[in-house]
Amino acid sequence: MTMIGMSELEANLAALTARFDAAVANASDGRALDEVRVAFLGRSGEVTGVRRGIGNLPPAERPSAGKVINAAVEAMEAKLTEAAAGIDRAALERSLGDTIDVTFPGPPATIGALHPVRQIGIDVARYFTRHGFAVVLGPEIETDANNFDALNIPPDHPAREGLDSFYLRPDLLLRTHTSPMQVRSMRQHGPPIAIIVPGKAYRRDAVDARHLYMFHQVEGLMVGRGIHFGHLKGMLVGMCRELFGPSADVRFRPSFFPFTEPSAEIDVKCPACEGRGGECRTCGGSGWIEIGGSGMVHPNVLRSVGYDPDDVSGWAFGCGLERIAMKRYDIDDIRAFVENQPSFAEGLS
Amino acid sequence: MKVPIAWLRDYVALPEDNDEIVARLTALGFPVDEVIERPQLTNVVAGRIAKVAPHPNADRLVLCTIDTGESEQLHIATAATNVAEGQIVPVARIGAQLAGGLTIAPRKMRGVDSQGMLCSAEELGLPGEWFEDGIMQLDYAMDPGTDVVERFRLTDPVLEVDVTPNRPDALSMIGLARELAASFGTELHEPGMLVKYEDGPEDARVTIETLDCKRFVFQRIHGLRVRPAHAWMRVRLALAGQRPINNVVDVSNFVMLEMGQPLHFFDFEKVAGGHLIVRDARDGESFTTLDDQDRTLDSRMIVIADEEGPTSLAGIMGGLRSEVSETTTDVLVEAANWTGPRIRRASLALKLRTEASGRFEKSLPLALADIGAARAARLLEQEGGGVRMPRSGGRGVPDPTPVKLRAGEVERLLGFAVSDDEIERGLTALGFGVRRTDDGFSVTAPYWRNDIAMAADLVEEIARVVGYDRVQAETPTVAPQDLESAEFDRETQLATTMAGLGYTEAISLSLQPAAVANAWRSNGIAVDDVVEIVNPLSEDQRFMRFSLAPALLEFAARDRAVRPYRAFELGHVFTDARPDPHETVQLTALHAGGESAFGRLKSDVLALVRRVTGAGAHVERGTFPSLHPGKTAALRVGERIVGYVGVVDPRLAHVYDVADTTALATLFVEAFPPRSVPHYVAPSKFPPLDRDLAVVVPLDVLAGDLVDAAKSEPLVRSATVFDEYRGPQVGEGKKSLALRIVLQSSDATLTDDDADAAMARIIATLRERFGAVPRGAASTA
Repeated sequence: MTMIGMSELEANLAALTARFDAAVANASDGRALDEVRVAFLGRSGEVTGVRRGIGNLPPAERPSAGKVINAAVEAMEAKLTEAAAGIDRAALERSLGDTIDVTFPGPPATIGALHPVRQIGIDVARYFTRHGFAVVLGPEIETDANNFDALNIPPDHPAREGLDSFYLRPDLLLRTHTSPMQVRSMRQHGPPIAIIVPGKAYRRDAVDARHLYMFHQVEGLMVGRGIHFGHLKGMLVGMCRELFGPSADVRFRPSFFPFTEPSAEIDVKCPACEGRGGECRTCGGSGWIEIGGSGMVHPNVLRSVGYDPDDVSGWAFGCGLERIAMKRYDIDDIRAFVENQPSFAEGLS
Repeated sequence: MKVPIAWLRDYVALPEDNDEIVARLTALGFPVDEVIERPQLTNVVAGRIAKVAPHPNADRLVLCTIDTGESEQLHIATAATNVAEGQIVPVARIGAQLAGGLTIAPRKMRGVDSQGMLCSAEELGLPGEWFEDGIMQLDYAMDPGTDVVERFRLTDPVLEVDVTPNRPDALSMIGLARELAASFGTELHEPGMLVKYEDGPEDARVTIETLDCKRFVFQRIHGLRVRPAHAWMRVRLALAGQRPINNVVDVSNFVMLEMGQPLHFFDFEKVAGGHLIVRDARDGESFTTLDDQDRTLDSRMIVIADEEGPTSLAGIMGGLRSEVSETTTDVLVEAANWTGPRIRRASLALKLRTEASGRFEKSLPLALADIGAARAARLLEQEGGGVRMPRSGGRGVPDPTPVKLRAGEVERLLGFAVSDDEIERGLTALGFGVRRTDDGFSVTAPYWRNDIAMAADLVEEIARVVGYDRVQAETPTVAPQDLESAEFDRETQLATTMAGLGYTEAISLSLQPAAVANAWRSNGIAVDDVVEIVNPLSEDQRFMRFSLAPALLEFAARDRAVRPYRAFELGHVFTDARPDPHETVQLTALHAGGESAFGRLKSDVLALVRRVTGAGAHVERGTFPSLHPGKTAALRVGERIVGYVGVVDPRLAHVYDVADTTALATLFVEAFPPRSVPHYVAPSKFPPLDRDLAVVVPLDVLAGDLVDAAKSEPLVRSATVFDEYRGPQVGEGKKSLALRIVLQSSDATLTDDDADAAMARIIATLRERFGAVPRGAASTA
């Protein structure tokens, strides 16, 4: 073993550092940098060789030599860290230049759709429940007493001839409107009452582009002291704005229904032409579309459920949901609602 | 009803703008379904044929010299054969525009100048087959030069007006004119009804034997000569869609359209014994109506018979035997009133609906019979008839009962105030008698209104006349109430959750043919008694659906290009039961195609049940019609089975032609327990330990049962089966199930020893319950 001096060790270290710097500068990625680390700072790397030389120094110089080597190692590690950060930064910068084909289709989403009739029922219910109405549902098989008698439709009324209704028995039929739920609800609950009733109804119509024998209605009923026609209009205007947008408007036309007096047809300003009419296909040029019937609950109906027509008053309405949907979504054949083509509900949701 | 605006103008001064009339009718409650525009006609005047001469160059033509009130006479050639000197005919002058876009220019006809054209009814836009062949004949009293288009208002549109069934009085020109007069605030000119009665023997008799003949007014008119009616009447009738026949028959149709009262005229000489008997028809009795059809009657109908038998079908159609003919001189006018529903049922039974029955079935006011007879008498008197006094049978016309209208009632119902003066003016304009009382009004309805019974009816009349537009929209304040929306909220949540899980909602028709249930039954699948419709429109709609599955299976088969196919329906299904049919709410979902349709659908409905009930469903073996008996899971929440999910029964898969891997689930919505509130479990602060365990068990051991058993160890935080192996390594009749078990304590960090002890307890339980042998243990044993 030959003795060396401190200066020689320092010179070796300087040369090593110079080689290290060059190697770091040449390392272009993390892996090359790791190789540099192993070559210089690894267990059998160059620094280890220099460190071994400490044993050849005079004992008095050994502590300071250790310090010098440690300082050099620290400096080299700092340079490695810095170089590694530089390489990472450069890689990030480079990745900003990458592109993908954003139009390449992904796997299909597993999202379904509500039927438009359900969607409209929910939209209508949201509006009415916001105003404190309850939403009640009822059976589709009804008694003729609830479907007709209690609604002031006498036994010899043409609607009871059996031509317009599906009968199961002389006293049982498929409800022809959602109005029997007025009767059921009022019998269950005294005034004041405010409900809507979405649901199916049945009429003995041959199926064509404008008729289905099964359809959906939403019924509304509000009875209490001081309830008047203006309240009906207020709620219907609000409902139509919910369905057709903020410029929707409603007008009443006199009509006749056995269970209301006065009675009114409900016309909504055509959502397609906003009431301008002309060549509009949606409203046929009149500027208005008919969405249902309404009126003040007939005193005989109030009496039939035990309400006092001199004390309370109220209104009721019934609208066809398919009819509303046809106008809202521009559907011209009502049969589409029960054909359930895959594109139907998805396309409208 | 077809309403020529021209005819309405006979009774009320109306705006020239037809749109305004249409809008006003609509606002009064008589919506106009169609505005039938008339052809543009100009320059047609009445001309008197002064001379008819042969055409020098053509045998088929004649040359007419026409006086149109001008100093120069016109020379017009025509091929028509019905022209004669002295006739008044419509003359299209040079420049005239006629129906079908025809314009009249000067021309030569076989070498002779023709200065215009004599017109047929068709050239004036009237149905040619309803008028004389050749040139239309005008009234002799019409002055030459009269503008024919303007006189008959031939260019005014015809309206198709919709009249609600409570207003049969408005199925008439006078009824609608009266409404318009009230609305426009103008005067109504009622048609004349005064006649001079002749004395004569009481030689007509009527016997009424049915209470459904409420009133029967009859009147003899004699000395008539049957011929074509006046042009004005024929034009009115034709515009209203009624074919002119002759001057007598036309009067009955005219009065029906004008006043709303259907009439029938008997040829009095053909009324056997001069005696009419109004009675129920006899079962099997037959008779020929004036449309020459033999009709077999039954007791639902009412006939008017004479001493030889039925001679008219009451309220519907007259009989051929006593029909007015070319030779009739003496008629017996019938103006009757019938119980509406009786006429409707008779009309339905005979499948014979007429203008008359359509009015009578709505129960006309009694007094209209007298009015109708009087108006007919007047018109027949103008045709030269001698009029006898009208007589009547049945009920007298009662005085109307006054209806009380409390002060404030109008505002209470309509929400806006109408002054007393306005109320009085409005009701009076509509013909009501109005008397003020201490607390409001006492109101009597006019004779033509039988739909007014209570104050609410009057409020509607007031609203109509002041205009429904006066109703002001106002948002009401809803008082607190106890009614709940729970069912709706649940259905909404079910549907929206299913949609969120990737299923598309279907709505299918609830009625179906017998073939649906038959196909299930003939394949050995149980179906409860189905509910039958007694009066279906077709056999395709005779039964109510007993399941939502058939429709979904059909859609899945139809849309086989769409895979995976996920759909659901939420609706009512029906089964027959005593005493009443049973109606329940179900949700059925279908998953076809994709990987593991059953597994996907099961996971989805479990998520749905969890979301809606707040509680997880327990999965166990079950059976359900429509599902494969060995591949069906029952879903239990608490004690209740809330539904089934499974692979479609292969026999149904065959019937509907869907893959036998198709999965179906049916949930019983009403069986869902009320939503429970889940309790919060704070996450443990101590780390969990995962352990995997493979056990060999007999093939019939259910993964779910293993998991349940594993969970009985208190330290088990979760346990799931993640793999199954069958094969030589585990032997015949066995399978290996791999469980991942997560152990965690809420109050200490588990040591390996703790975990080993817990796993040992689990293995012991599984061994005891299922004969399970740990896979590692089995291989080293």
